[in-house]
Amino acid sequence: MVNYEIAEVCGLHKIQNASHTKAKPPPLVDLISKILENQAVDGDVQITCFTEDLHDVTLHFQIIRLAKQIFVWIGCNTAKFGHLYAAAITRPNDQVAVTSILGGTSDNTGSGIARRLVLKTRLNIIVACNIPKDSPMLEATAERKLAEKLRSLGYVRPKPGGKSPDQAGF
Amino acid sequence: MDSGRPFRFPVAHNAVSLDIKGNKTEIMICKYDDKFLVIVTQIGCMGTILHARKEESVLTDPTYSVSIIFGKRDEPWLLACGRQLIEHISCAGSSMHLVLSLGLKDHSPETLKDVTLAVIENRLW
Repeated sequence: MVNYEIAEVCGLHKIQNASHTKAKPPPLVDLISKILENQAVDGDVQITCFTEDLHDVTLHFQIIRLAKQIFVWIGCNTAKFGHLYAAAITRPNDQVAVTSILGGTSDNTGSGIARRLVLKTRLNIIVACNIPKDSPMLEATAERKLAEKLRSLGYVRPKPGGKSPDQAGF
Repeated sequence: MDSGRPFRFPVAHNAVSLDIKGNKTEIMICKYDDKFLVIVTQIGCMGTILHARKEESVLTDPTYSVSIIFGKRDEPWLLACGRQLIEHISCAGSSMHLVLSLGLKDHSPETLKDVTLAVIENRLW
């Protein structure tokens, strides 16, 4: 049995503490998912932080949902901020545009994640990511975990006149 | 892994909602290993994003560099807000860079002053 506690977070908003007991995950999937906190500042802003332990790497995720935009930070083992990208769907053809805002001009890791997240979720997204370059498996895992979380939090917008996120293979 | 030890998410954050000149303002401050991120929004998105850093010199007082990296580049009061905050961070003893996002309905000096004071009140440095 794995026992863990959800840690306190300093802040002026409501603090949640809870402890969970969790059965040991099946041996084939050595992936432990810890949801640390899920706090609503109020109806417009929500901050979600969680961590995924993989075999040799720990991925940290922070999602800040604003009314019209989502900020996402992905940390690989460390809490360095990483490179910053913005991505959104642009008119008139519903193409996805991505731009590097801070760092990362010679590294496509975060921009690829930003672009595919917007493709899947149709959200306006700002991504900060410190995943090292040339780590396609890690990138794919992080992107998958993040997309799952965005869907479970209900942030994903349905495609206009088309498939729901479930039907879209996401 | 010691299963009995509580796990703390590596990024600390503060979040507060307040009223500035009649506009509901959300402020979020996050502390990463190498940067502070401050998001101030009245419009539901991050708005203009600035990067501020201290450039240290051995022989002279530190200088500060503030630049707008995304969004409106012709609003001097946004730069002034970034400059105030990076100097405050520096005086608190930290050399970390600041990423500041300001999504504001108005860019008057009074609003930016209130924003700066509110961020300092809820700072993580």
